Amino acid sequence: MGVSYGVPAVAIAALLVVAIGVLYNGLVARRNRVHTAWADIDVQLRRRHDLVPNLVESARGYMAHERQTLEAVTQARAQAISAGANVPARASAEMLLAGAIGNLFVVAERYPVLRATENMLLLQEQLTSTENRITFARQHYNDTVLEYNTAVASFPRNLFAKAFGFSSAAMFAAEEHDRGVPQADLKS
Amino acid sequence: MPSASLGPHDRESFFAAQRRNRRATWRLTALCVLTALAMGIPLTLVLTPLFYAGTLVAADVVTYFRPLPPEFWAAMKDLSQLAVRVGDYFFHNKPLDPQLLAGGLTVLLLPGMAMALALWMAMLALFRRAGVGGALTTVNAREPSPHDLREMRLANAVQEMAIASGLPAPQVMLVDSPGANAAAIGTSPEDARIVVSRRLLDDLDREQMQALLAHLIGSVGNGDLGIAFAVTSVFETCGLLGTLINAPFGPQARGTLWRIVRYAFARRANGSAAEAEAIAALLTGDLDLQSDDIGRFFDTDARRGPIHKFLTFVLLPVFFTNAAIKFTLWFFLTAFLGPCMALLWRSRRYLADASAVQFTRSPDALAGALRNLTQDTTAIPGGIWASHLFVVSPGRDSSVPQDKPTAEQMRLVVGAWAESSSGGSVKSAYTTGDYVRCCAELIATQRAAVAGDPAALARMTAFHRTISTLVPGPIAQRLPDPTDLTAALRGDAAAIARLQSQQRELGRHHQGVQKRTGFQAESMVSFHPPLKRRLRRLERMGAHVDWGAIRKWSSTKVIGTAIGFLILAPLVLAAGALMLLVVAVMIMLNLLFLALWLFAIHAVFGLLGHG
Repeated sequence: MGVSYGVPAVAIAALLVVAIGVLYNGLVARRNRVHTAWADIDVQLRRRHDLVPNLVESARGYMAHERQTLEAVTQARAQAISAGANVPARASAEMLLAGAIGNLFVVAERYPVLRATENMLLLQEQLTSTENRITFARQHYNDTVLEYNTAVASFPRNLFAKAFGFSSAAMFAAEEHDRGVPQADLKS
Repeated sequence: MPSASLGPHDRESFFAAQRRNRRATWRLTALCVLTALAMGIPLTLVLTPLFYAGTLVAADVVTYFRPLPPEFWAAMKDLSQLAVRVGDYFFHNKPLDPQLLAGGLTVLLLPGMAMALALWMAMLALFRRAGVGGALTTVNAREPSPHDLREMRLANAVQEMAIASGLPAPQVMLVDSPGANAAAIGTSPEDARIVVSRRLLDDLDREQMQALLAHLIGSVGNGDLGIAFAVTSVFETCGLLGTLINAPFGPQARGTLWRIVRYAFARRANGSAAEAEAIAALLTGDLDLQSDDIGRFFDTDARRGPIHKFLTFVLLPVFFTNAAIKFTLWFFLTAFLGPCMALLWRSRRYLADASAVQFTRSPDALAGALRNLTQDTTAIPGGIWASHLFVVSPGRDSSVPQDKPTAEQMRLVVGAWAESSSGGSVKSAYTTGDYVRCCAELIATQRAAVAGDPAALARMTAFHRTISTLVPGPIAQRLPDPTDLTAALRGDAAAIARLQSQQRELGRHHQGVQKRTGFQAESMVSFHPPLKRRLRRLERMGAHVDWGAIRKWSSTKVIGTAIGFLILAPLVLAAGALMLLVVAVMIMLNLLFLALWLFAIHAVFGLLGHG
């Protein structure tokens, strides 16, 4: 009598294991996509770091009297690089850098000769593109977080997600607003 | 700086649109499979008798040299008896054991279906590494130059959209063509390339270009390249069937088959993708109901020797089989399978549109880009055959009114043409007839110039010099460039392709006929979704569309169209039923001919055997 119950039970158990395995792999894949998207934001931020020296050098020849503006940019960049993996310090340093670069372009408006040089135009395009890339990287991160959170919260994955250690990830915008916006002092 | 992200309501919208379109894709794929199966039945009824006839003739030939075992003939006899009993069941309603019926139907239908399926698998395997859109790679495509600001913007926009979508950035190639369009080509998201025409960079601003690239990258990420390849392979298989039947009869079909064999065994080279597409174009061309090798072979008007006449008589059934296959394929493709695949492709375009909105978060950008593009010429040379891969249809979009050349522009063109001929006088007043005649003369002179006539070349150069200063915009871009002419004379393939496309454009304008190209010729429904419908879907996702220039549905138009449909529908249905009847009759006659033919051959071999 045990045999007639044993075989179907084993089959059902095997099916359950396979099903849970498939669902678990889906969660793992989505969580890895979230981690990758987060790292990709970092890649784009570093790209901005790399573009700054070229920008400062191109501008220095024409904007000899704007030493402070140029210094602010260089200092902000150094700060951002040194902040490294410390998330709150890094976030504020990156915002400082964005502000300093924007300030530099505002000042450069006063030098039409500089603005018209091909090098400067291309650099401006590269920096605009970099800002766009940072934004799109954050947008992509939010999209992957949305997908991951939906998967973790929906049936049937929510039955075992907590047990295996999957929890909701945080969207990007929420973090930034929690930290608060530091006031940048560009005259230092 | 990019704009702030939109609120949850809009974000839900494009995700919902994507879900809707993905479900539509599944539905339409199922419909395509069903239609293909339905198409398989008449095809099988034509192919299977041919298969069995071939087997029997081969058996007869073999028996003449060495007798086959009697089991073979017994099996053949059993088969024929089974076929007769199945026939009796269907036509005379004689009772039949269901198992026997199933077995009989399998034996009758299976060989044809198996052949078609095997051919399809072969096409898939053979052309998979080439992917789609190969011809576009040969047309003078270049990398974006790092010194041109607009081209750098293009390269940057591609990278940005790749980041937004999470896909690897595809390689970008620029084509210097008079039309403004873009396409995604290749085999898979890792291997994809985006071909953009230089003109596009001038017509669109940064946001619109970004939206267009988002559409293309989104479609690549959604797997549209694989779907396009599957669609292509279906058409190729149908063409291959026709080519195989034609092969014993003429050089054209044999040439195509030879190219396929050569392609199968060639080492992977740069030109292989273009070659694959050329082969595909040849195969699909065979689907047209035009004269082909068999038609020429059986042409009764031509004078041939007596041997040819004897062969004509002997091989007549094959001619009939070919006609039956061609008609069946043409009817079912154009009326059923083609439109189903076109609808499937349209759902992927809508999905790509929704993906573009997801990546850019700006439906206005895509709507503006589409509006801008359809105002202008959109043909890219070399891309005629794979026109379904483009973002916007390379032909004319009939849902949006096109800008015709104004009277002033026509006057300028005719005046410049008259000036360019030595000793020509410039009149002050021209009629539309003059313009039409002038276009015809232009085409003829251009053809002569390409053929090498120096006087024609000189005239074209003078004309182009005059016209490019006078008439900017769409007219000037449609006219041939003398540098292209000289390059074409030297044999530059890209210049020749550009000239050919311009010639077609001019001819089309002169005739006012919208020609369907490539796949579109095999389907009653266009592969490109009409612009109005795309704009309406974008509006639902949050775009602000100015409907002023585009005609919206007026009540009178709706009533008129409805009445038209009510009158036409029964006529169309009747025509369809008639076509089906013709197909059935052709299949019957085919069977009859083949049976008679087989009987005659069998009798001949019997006599030879005994004698």
